[in-house]
Amino acid sequence: MRGMRLLAATALAGLVAFSAAAEAKETLRLMTVFDAPTVQLWEPVLAAYNEANPDYEVKMETVAGSGAAVYPDVLRTAMASGDPPDVFFMWGGEIAGPFIRAGQVAVLDSYYDKYGWDKVVAPWTIERITRDGHKYGVPFHARGMGLWYRVDLFEKYGLSEPKTYDELAKVCSTFKENGIYCASFGGKFGWQTMRLLDYFIETTCGPEEHDKLNALQSSWNQPCVVAAYDRMAQWVKDGWLVPDFLNVAPNDARMAVYSGDAAMVFEGGWFEGVLKSDEQPMENFKFFLPPTDHTPVRYSAFPEQWMIPEASKHKDAAAALINWLTIADTQKKFPEAFTASATIGVESDCSVAPRDCEWKKILTSDSQTYPPTDQAFTKELIDGFFEVQDGVVAGKITPTDAAAQMQAKAEAWKAKQKS
Amino acid sequence: MTVTSLAEGRPAFARARRRRRVPTAWIPYLFLAPALIWYAAFLVYPMLQSLYISFFDWDGLSPTMTFVGLKNYIDIFMSDEVARLALWNNILWTLGALVLPTAIGLMLALALNRRVPGSTLFRTIFYSPAVLPLVAVGLIWAWVYNPNFGVVNTTLKAVGLRTWAAGWLSSYELALPATFVTFVWSHVGFPMIFYLAGLQAISKEYYEAATIDGANAFQRFRHVTLPGLTETHVIVLSLAVINGFKVFDLVYTMTYGGPGRSTQVLGTWMYFQTFQYYHAGYGSALAWVIAAIVLVIAIPYIRRMSR
Repeated sequence: MRGMRLLAATALAGLVAFSAAAEAKETLRLMTVFDAPTVQLWEPVLAAYNEANPDYEVKMETVAGSGAAVYPDVLRTAMASGDPPDVFFMWGGEIAGPFIRAGQVAVLDSYYDKYGWDKVVAPWTIERITRDGHKYGVPFHARGMGLWYRVDLFEKYGLSEPKTYDELAKVCSTFKENGIYCASFGGKFGWQTMRLLDYFIETTCGPEEHDKLNALQSSWNQPCVVAAYDRMAQWVKDGWLVPDFLNVAPNDARMAVYSGDAAMVFEGGWFEGVLKSDEQPMENFKFFLPPTDHTPVRYSAFPEQWMIPEASKHKDAAAALINWLTIADTQKKFPEAFTASATIGVESDCSVAPRDCEWKKILTSDSQTYPPTDQAFTKELIDGFFEVQDGVVAGKITPTDAAAQMQAKAEAWKAKQKS
Repeated sequence: MTVTSLAEGRPAFARARRRRRVPTAWIPYLFLAPALIWYAAFLVYPMLQSLYISFFDWDGLSPTMTFVGLKNYIDIFMSDEVARLALWNNILWTLGALVLPTAIGLMLALALNRRVPGSTLFRTIFYSPAVLPLVAVGLIWAWVYNPNFGVVNTTLKAVGLRTWAAGWLSSYELALPATFVTFVWSHVGFPMIFYLAGLQAISKEYYEAATIDGANAFQRFRHVTLPGLTETHVIVLSLAVINGFKVFDLVYTMTYGGPGRSTQVLGTWMYFQTFQYYHAGYGSALAWVIAAIVLVIAIPYIRRMSR
């Protein structure tokens, strides 16, 4: 009995000491959009950090599955309330723009000098997140997108990965002749359909003009844009896309591919994880970069980044956390948590994630990328872009009118910025 | 004098009571105070704050705001085509909300007001959609309408009506009516419950007297039931107007305002402006336009019908 009391007293003393130690640690809040499986993968990562760091305890807050439609609202509310997280996830490009313009995001230039992140992550990702010569974030993911296809359907009809746009058109017409849709899209929110239109613009306008269009340095009311809208209208008219898709949720668009009603879907490297969680046979899915008929052959890609709010009380600790999460040494210990990493020298396990392994090679190679338009435009302008795009898909707007309307929206937006 | 002697002879406890007598007019306010403070802090203050913000150009994030006077309100009516489309969609929606859920709710109430077997079960079934969160309802119905595997098109194809299958939410013409059908499904329980309560408050003697006078079923409905439900009509129709103009959840979850902008309503447009485009001032102005429209329509109606 006495021994039991002694044991209990020792345990209590240990618990008190542990609690005191835990209380001594400051909390670092990390806000993400991770879903439940990703949060699970990240638990050992954060546990390792907390164990190694005597001063800070990292706690993750996630707005799971909300995507770019809702997460910025939650973040905005946190910032407006004066209680932002210490580190937060953000997509690349203009989605971060309002936060930066409002002075809510810390400039990380000095931390880049301190930690040498310029040499740690893929250069194109840093270039993509740099605004007015300043770096407000640290690239975390490098995401590329391409056309994922059903291998069995390609083999059944004797098709191979197309190398030109005409070959892609031939693939689609072959599928159509055999009662299969070439591709499936979910038009709700606009951004998945945009991937196809972006590709068409890249093919019809070429890399240089596409970049100028995204920067609003060139008129949208020009023949190559009309040609891109025309291709979109033609794909719908020819029945190459699963019909009535304008308000289908992007995730639901995959069903047609799984069932074999459609052959392809425009997705990113993350699709490998989706296929696994949807219990689809991985060997039956491959991807290719859509041929653009231009040199260099560019593909749609974007970084995702970590940022630090200007109002964070722990900026140095937040930067140290980002550095710990970014360096190859950390990421190599937790390969499943750091798929699609932007960090140089972190290779995926090709036996576990073969497609991610292929993407990694492409994303860290010399190949060039173009941004998805929703990361080039503000939300207000991109919704105008989606409005025109929907009109073309539905046959409400002709390609010629679409180009003119898009230019009018670009001009109206620019005028609004000046006023 | 007697009076003097009486006053002088008043017992000690009566003088004590007089000393303790205090004004009592403020006591009701004391009891109201907790609710009033709560109401003022969490409703009145935010409303006034949003009214104040509506006169500014503000992104909702920056520490500074630029005063623009009535510009936001002028822009809503003069240069914002989407706001005008949204207002028109709200008017259509409200007209529909005044007729369909109300009429169906009244019919269900009339049917279920009788002593028929299973009436409690049917009341529960018809009311149950009303207790579901509208976000969940919207997501479920988006699947119901899915052009490829949704139950509507699957059923139509199964019964040989393949040509009737459509992209219910993807069509510019069908998206708003299809979303409204979901609204009817989810809201029909409210008027039903109100009308059931109203019907049970009508004395049976009126019906008996009307029957003795030779009134048929329609005449009893026209001259006894409908007048007896006047107060219920006020509540049901007022709520229909208010719900019609503040509709948000179903449109946001089912169509996201699309395709194009075809299903935007003032509520979603206000949300897009405030939270997605970072125009908090403009969004606040839109919120006040919605509130003003509802007040202009609802208050005179309620006052007239409540006399």
